[in-house]
Amino acid sequence: MKNPDAIVIGAGVVGACTALSLSNAGLRVLVIDRGPVASGTTGAGEGNILVSDKEPSPELTLAIRSRDAWFEIDTDIGGGFELEAKGGVVVSRSTKGVSDLKKLASLQKENGVETIELNASTLQEAEPFISKDVNYGVLYPGDAQCQPMLAAAQIIRAVKKRGGNFIQGENVIKINSNAGSIVGLTTDKNTYSTPIIINATGTWAGEVAKLANSYLPIMPRRGYILVTSPAPKLINHKVYDADYVANVASGEADLQSSAVIEGTASGTILIGASRERVGFKNDLNIAILRQLARQAISLFPVLTNIQLLRAYRGFRPYAPDHLPVIGEDANVSGLWHAAGHEGAGIGLAPATGELITAQITGNAPFMDPAPFSPKRFKGGEHVAV
Amino acid sequence: MHNVVIVGGGPAGLSAALAVAAAGAPVLLIDSNSRLGGQYWRNSVDELENQNEQHFDLATGLLLINAVKARKEIEVWSEAQIWSATNDEGKNTLRVIHQGKSKIVNTANLILCTGAYDRTLPFPGWDIPGVMTPGGVQSLLKGHGVLAGKRVVVAGTGPFLLPVAAGVIKAGGEVVSLVEANKSRRWVSSFIVILENLSKIKEAFYYIKTISQGKVRGQFGQAVIAAHAADNGELESVDIAKIDRNFKVKKVKNIKCDVAAIGWGFTPDTSLAGSLGCQQVVAKDECVVVWVDSNQQTNIPGIFAAGEITGIGGSDLSMAEGVIAGIAAAKFVGCKVEVLKAHRKRRAKRQRFANALIKAYPIKVGWQLWPNDQTTICRCEEVSLGDLKFSVEELGATDSRTAKLFTRCGMGLCQGRICGRSVVDLVAKELNVLPTDIDRISAVNRPIITPISLGVLAQGE
Amino acid sequence: MSQFEIQFTFDDKTISAVSGQSVGAALLAANQRSLRKTRFNKDKRGIFCGIGVCFDCLVVIDGITNQRACIIEAKPGMKVQTQDGSNA
Repeated sequence: MKNPDAIVIGAGVVGACTALSLSNAGLRVLVIDRGPVASGTTGAGEGNILVSDKEPSPELTLAIRSRDAWFEIDTDIGGGFELEAKGGVVVSRSTKGVSDLKKLASLQKENGVETIELNASTLQEAEPFISKDVNYGVLYPGDAQCQPMLAAAQIIRAVKKRGGNFIQGENVIKINSNAGSIVGLTTDKNTYSTPIIINATGTWAGEVAKLANSYLPIMPRRGYILVTSPAPKLINHKVYDADYVANVASGEADLQSSAVIEGTASGTILIGASRERVGFKNDLNIAILRQLARQAISLFPVLTNIQLLRAYRGFRPYAPDHLPVIGEDANVSGLWHAAGHEGAGIGLAPATGELITAQITGNAPFMDPAPFSPKRFKGGEHVAV
Repeated sequence: MHNVVIVGGGPAGLSAALAVAAAGAPVLLIDSNSRLGGQYWRNSVDELENQNEQHFDLATGLLLINAVKARKEIEVWSEAQIWSATNDEGKNTLRVIHQGKSKIVNTANLILCTGAYDRTLPFPGWDIPGVMTPGGVQSLLKGHGVLAGKRVVVAGTGPFLLPVAAGVIKAGGEVVSLVEANKSRRWVSSFIVILENLSKIKEAFYYIKTISQGKVRGQFGQAVIAAHAADNGELESVDIAKIDRNFKVKKVKNIKCDVAAIGWGFTPDTSLAGSLGCQQVVAKDECVVVWVDSNQQTNIPGIFAAGEITGIGGSDLSMAEGVIAGIAAAKFVGCKVEVLKAHRKRRAKRQRFANALIKAYPIKVGWQLWPNDQTTICRCEEVSLGDLKFSVEELGATDSRTAKLFTRCGMGLCQGRICGRSVVDLVAKELNVLPTDIDRISAVNRPIITPISLGVLAQGE
Repeated sequence: MSQFEIQFTFDDKTISAVSGQSVGAALLAANQRSLRKTRFNKDKRGIFCGIGVCFDCLVVIDGITNQRACIIEAKPGMKVQTQDGSNA
């Protein structure tokens, strides 16, 4: 594809959604990935599209819009990625946990998130197999689920049909600029000219920023997911322990884990979630698998006789302030970053794409993108925006 | 002196265990079945006279099994499933479920003899109840005393079809058709090898005699290419085709049967070796096997491998390799033993026979035209050939691993053991490329080796 | 080792087995070739590989799903049932 209007580096869910958004705005978009579609963190994702796990904040605003955008994309491209408005149930068993959850739910409600409080009896109706010692929960009808690999693949497929293209197996080795503006990039096989580049490389976004002599402090946070063998339908919603929200915001390097459990369209049950800062260490840590199993059984004793079939791990990209990076580079104009979504990448991808597209095309973005701007890392320090 | 841990109680594992014990080192033999013998020496009772003469070589098997049971240096764990195995700087940690209890085995010295299982090829109707593998029919007969059906078709390729057909006849069943895909003349080039292995010829003639007594004539250059169900959804008949030397279909006839035992050689189960990080390579028959040196040691010091996982070669070769692995492992832990020239000569002779088998019973690519778009390729997840093609043509999968992630092929309970090899070939065919070694090896990557209940996982250490 | 007869139930039928036999072998001996229905297409499946590798011969045993009939020994009084899909 000669002289594309924009190049997106990274064919994960964020790159795919950004490419779709730009294509729909009339740009000819080239997507480049050193591997196949969804070969990075997207391929290890659970498929969460949540409005429940964020406090009122710019990120919650992003999440609410993004969730709706997923259903619009589903209609727009004709589905094919198991999108399901299954709803989420957040529970807590401790006095403090329940009180914190009540407060959070009430604040979220004021900010546009639909919440329904559940007591012991309505909780049992919503989740008949949940442990009998859980007495309080909040139902979030807005939470949804998809199959992330299929989502990225179907979106890229749509991008190709709308005048875009996807090149697999080329590694970007240099990002070229002239007088502080992007002119193109060079891979291990070709050189491409374009005035706009979007860095959607997730956990590797910092390395790619370096190729343009810029800076992004993105680091990996490892997570495991257990996959069970196909099971009877035991769990109706995404169900998770309120501790999950605290873990996301935590800065601790040690293992953080709390129960996140749901069924899938294919019948397997997915069990998460763990967070560790161990770089890109690839080993299979049985202790973590055991912890996840214990937490899941504690919440759903019926899982005792369900078999673990496989486990996989992925590396969530995160920035030091735990906010995604969405916006134009601090130094190089024409270079845009869309990365660092830390475990919420799938949920936040469509709205990320919309924010990038709005800023590139000069249209009004649906929210003020300033909190996500890469300029907050200018000069290698964290600068308040 | 440390414990040598051996995984697998078939010909290789039994031989290795006896060799280590003879050298004076204690052995822990871990086997997943309830009775020792592996697949090859399936048995249901301890004395030969009580078995039907269904397996010519069972006498040797029972000899080894009883010898292992008699040696106090050998501790046997039966019904023991290893679900996770990791190697961390020379220490191997095996997590085992032994008769329902969670156990951990730590060892620096391991001999892997995890064997193989029937290789199958997909074709329309291969998932109908009544279509089985020769190994399955054999196991039902020898291990459980049950004849799988009354009108049996035996098909595929390889010498294993003979004892299976003979077994059915001896048990009173009717072999309505015995078809071998490859032509008999392929053996002519291996004349010297045949002379070297006359006992194998004697064995083959034993089966052939039984089969001809059952008034069955084996037919060459033919294959089962489709199966059909009766109204109740169970097997009613199969289509048997005359095929050319590339397995392309020429003429088709239909045969009524209630069981079809169809096998295309064997696939080694290298999951445990792979999990530990042992180097795997692709052999001449396209099997993924564990690399070993001339002492049966893998690329990881202290981990040895013997039997079918180092290359499909039958029970005699497995025994020869098991002995060498056992001696080498015993030496590794400090015993004063050496692998002798005689051991190596015997292994070499049997390796030559195994190589001749591979040459005589190849699988040609024409099989890839037998399935149609509706044919199930991944049985566990019900993924069809059409689904696989869609993942390549529309979703842009450019290798079998990605196609698997898009379709769930190979993600079901068997974790790709049945469909894995076929998926690699069929995806490569769609892409008009040759399958790469990386494709083949990644298809056997299974960090969780066998399903384990969450409750047992939660309780363990 | 002496062999004696035991009995278990399969759905509403009583099945005889010889001690030591697998559930799958005993069912096949009793002419029961179909053991389950698949979860998407509801296709019938029975014993395929016979040695515990293919996971096609799945039945429900005493309430627990995904049990391989070909390798699990039949025990007196076992309650075995057809596995319909994943028993949703």
